[in-house]
Amino acid sequence: MSRERAFISLQQAAYILNLGAVCLVAGSMAYSILAIVDAMEAEAFLNLIRVRPWKPQTMLVAAVTGYLCLVFCSCLGQLWENRRRALRNAIMALEMFFCIGATVAMNMNYNGLVLLVVSDMVRGQKGSKQKVVLGVAIVGLYTIVNYNLTGAYFNMIPWEQFLTAYGTSTQAFLRGSLSVISSMNLVLFILYMAMLVQGEYRERERIQSLNDQLEEANRKLKEYAAEAEKNAEMRERNRLAREIHDTLGHALTGIVAGIDASLTMLDIAPEATKQQLTKIGEVARQGITDVRRSVSKLRPDALEKFDLERAVTKLIEDTGAASGAEIHFENQAASLKFHEDEEEVIYRVVQEATTNAIRHGHATKIHIVISRADQWLTITVKDDGIGCSEVKEGFGLKHMQERLELLDGSLRYEGSDGFWIAARIPIRWGEEYG
Amino acid sequence: MRYVGKKAIVFSMAITVTLLTIIGAVFVYLSREQEEEKILRFGMIAGSYWDVPTGSCYKVVDEAIRRFEEEHPGVRVEYDSGILKEDYPEWLSEQILLGKEPDVFMIPEGELEILVSLGALKDLGTLIKRDGSFDSDAYYEGAYMYGSIGDVQYALPYESVPTLMFVNKTLLQKEGISMPGADWTWEELLAICCKVTKDTDGDGVIDQFGCFDYGWREAVASNGALLFEKDGSAAYFTDPKVEAGVKFVRDLNRVNEGYGVTAREFDQGKVAFRPFAFSEYRTYKPYPWRIKKYSDFEWDCVKLPAGQGGQGQSRLETLLMGIGSRTRQEQMAWEFIKTLCYEVETQLHLLEASQGLPVVKEAVQSPLLSQVLGNDIPGNSDMDVEVIWQVMEEAVGAPNFRMYPAAMALADGEIGRIISGEMSVDSGLLKLQREMNGLLKQ
Repeated sequence: MSRERAFISLQQAAYILNLGAVCLVAGSMAYSILAIVDAMEAEAFLNLIRVRPWKPQTMLVAAVTGYLCLVFCSCLGQLWENRRRALRNAIMALEMFFCIGATVAMNMNYNGLVLLVVSDMVRGQKGSKQKVVLGVAIVGLYTIVNYNLTGAYFNMIPWEQFLTAYGTSTQAFLRGSLSVISSMNLVLFILYMAMLVQGEYRERERIQSLNDQLEEANRKLKEYAAEAEKNAEMRERNRLAREIHDTLGHALTGIVAGIDASLTMLDIAPEATKQQLTKIGEVARQGITDVRRSVSKLRPDALEKFDLERAVTKLIEDTGAASGAEIHFENQAASLKFHEDEEEVIYRVVQEATTNAIRHGHATKIHIVISRADQWLTITVKDDGIGCSEVKEGFGLKHMQERLELLDGSLRYEGSDGFWIAARIPIRWGEEYG
Repeated sequence: MRYVGKKAIVFSMAITVTLLTIIGAVFVYLSREQEEEKILRFGMIAGSYWDVPTGSCYKVVDEAIRRFEEEHPGVRVEYDSGILKEDYPEWLSEQILLGKEPDVFMIPEGELEILVSLGALKDLGTLIKRDGSFDSDAYYEGAYMYGSIGDVQYALPYESVPTLMFVNKTLLQKEGISMPGADWTWEELLAICCKVTKDTDGDGVIDQFGCFDYGWREAVASNGALLFEKDGSAAYFTDPKVEAGVKFVRDLNRVNEGYGVTAREFDQGKVAFRPFAFSEYRTYKPYPWRIKKYSDFEWDCVKLPAGQGGQGQSRLETLLMGIGSRTRQEQMAWEFIKTLCYEVETQLHLLEASQGLPVVKEAVQSPLLSQVLGNDIPGNSDMDVEVIWQVMEEAVGAPNFRMYPAAMALADGEIGRIISGEMSVDSGLLKLQREMNGLLKQ
């Protein structure tokens, strides 16, 4: 039998059992009043209980109607399990209302209906905060419908008093029946709760195992990423070595060989040596061109394709889209056209600073300004992240500083209110390289 | 939720709705059957409420109903006839249990408190306030207050019976004693009793007596003593006024030198005084009751003698009427209860057809009273109606808290022992007070 089937069977058994209890209690109360009137003991009975009971038929009808409404609400609650929270809460409140109503109609002489409501509440509620609400509601409900606690204040009449209208054997039978029904109801409730708890436990176990799997996958992914990075680095090194070997190595070898030949020829044929040196010069120039070409291959892709401003804009758009942070870029330096090495440093500073702001500062807003005063270009990046009271020079900052120092630039930063970073670079105006 | 589960739930819901529909249909069908013309149910006691012989007990009520139905067309008043006084509380309890209590019903003495605590009586406060034509000052205060508990008026008085002092005029004349006046005292009563208590036929046994049936309750009331708080929260049995009353009864009994006077001696004309309820007074002398009791003396009625602390107040018994709290015709019930308890016409009719006294001042003070009393009393016995007015004005109703009957039974026992000399007055009353405190705490 599937779990749902078992749940519903239990629930329906509880519905039928409680209907029996309601009919038994309310029926015996209503009938006892008629019996008392028949036996002409009405005055003695009223003097004993000192409370006016409801009309016999009202008592019976109210109890049964209240109970049936409770069952209806309970079914509706199950059927609409996935509807809006407010709707489900309203149904729950109605259920509680009918539970209290039916119990009061029975003069609080049967409080098993609470178990029905409680099991519905437990099934419907999830999460820690709801558990508190649930606990309070259950305790409150039990308090309300418990004769010993509140019955006296609500002028409720104990069942025992009604039972006095019956003969001893009938009394025993009625008491016994109610006791059996109550116990069975309790057993069903416990069974239901056990199944519910078991289900929850299983669910938790499943989530735990999924979580473990995810963690494992994550770890593997990290390993793989590290390996991939290592491989990439290795490949890059090999490429660099090849590049150096192919360009500088080739040129230098040529130059060295040429210079050696020139030294040998210098005294014998100065003219030929001159020609030779000219050739060596050409080789050296060719070498420089090759080196420059190689270096330019190491530049960021974006800078290869676009000018600096568009590259920075694209970087910001991409980072913003990827991280969800709001990045604002303000260019106060008119056109951004510099030497390649300068552009690369600017690009790298912006990239590193925004990456830091998002990764370490968890910033949601980043403000980037590039401004120029005389030959100094200043890049400031300010974020609203958590900052840090004591700035540790991580790899990123150190790397940035090194890059800047190569261009005689400087780096300042501060982390008390978000994180603020300012890089200054002296621009070489009109200086031609090579 | 899988399909199988859903089906089962929908099935349960269908059954539930079917059952609810059946209940609803039966309910609608039954309530439609009940809809007829406007019927006001009235619960009344058959026979005399005052335990005296009576002719037609329905006369006053029938007449009042006739007038009420004339004034309110479309309304019919119904009552169950033949419920005797001793069966009435059981009948009323049964009706309450079945939820069929009458809209307006009589409340016998001692039943008000239990009916109020059952919540069976409507608080008349708002009805009284709303009704500009109703004035509680029209009633004698003692009778009106008897229908209230705390500050809440739950019932209206219908008929009252005060206690009066019966005087055997023939005996007093024979002894050469003048009739006591309206402001006579215990001392005078005691003096007369001492004077008339004697052995007239010379057989050595006392055969003429001063007083019969004068108990501590009469003495305490006529001394203006307050026995209980109105709500039964405290008892005052050690009050000097109570003590004086008990002492007086003891002294009065001592005059008889231990001879137990009975009603027979009174009927034979051998007793000078006897406290009598007004209803007994009205049925004592007229034919045929006179024949039955062999009385052949002239008599008169006076106030009870006053103690040092009081004005000779008499005890007042009152029959109340209330409105059922579950009545669906509150205003109509109020109009009807007013027809019975407030309209002078009905109250005057009580004078002719019942044995009690009306509770509305205007009815008591009408010339009809002396006329009716004159008819009742043949010969030269007469009745001073002013005595009745005065007695009604001063009379005090018994408290009506729950433990009152039990408390008075306890007091009867203990004070009986004091009067018979088993205990001294001081210590006896102190003991009674202690027991009373315990009883009232329950």
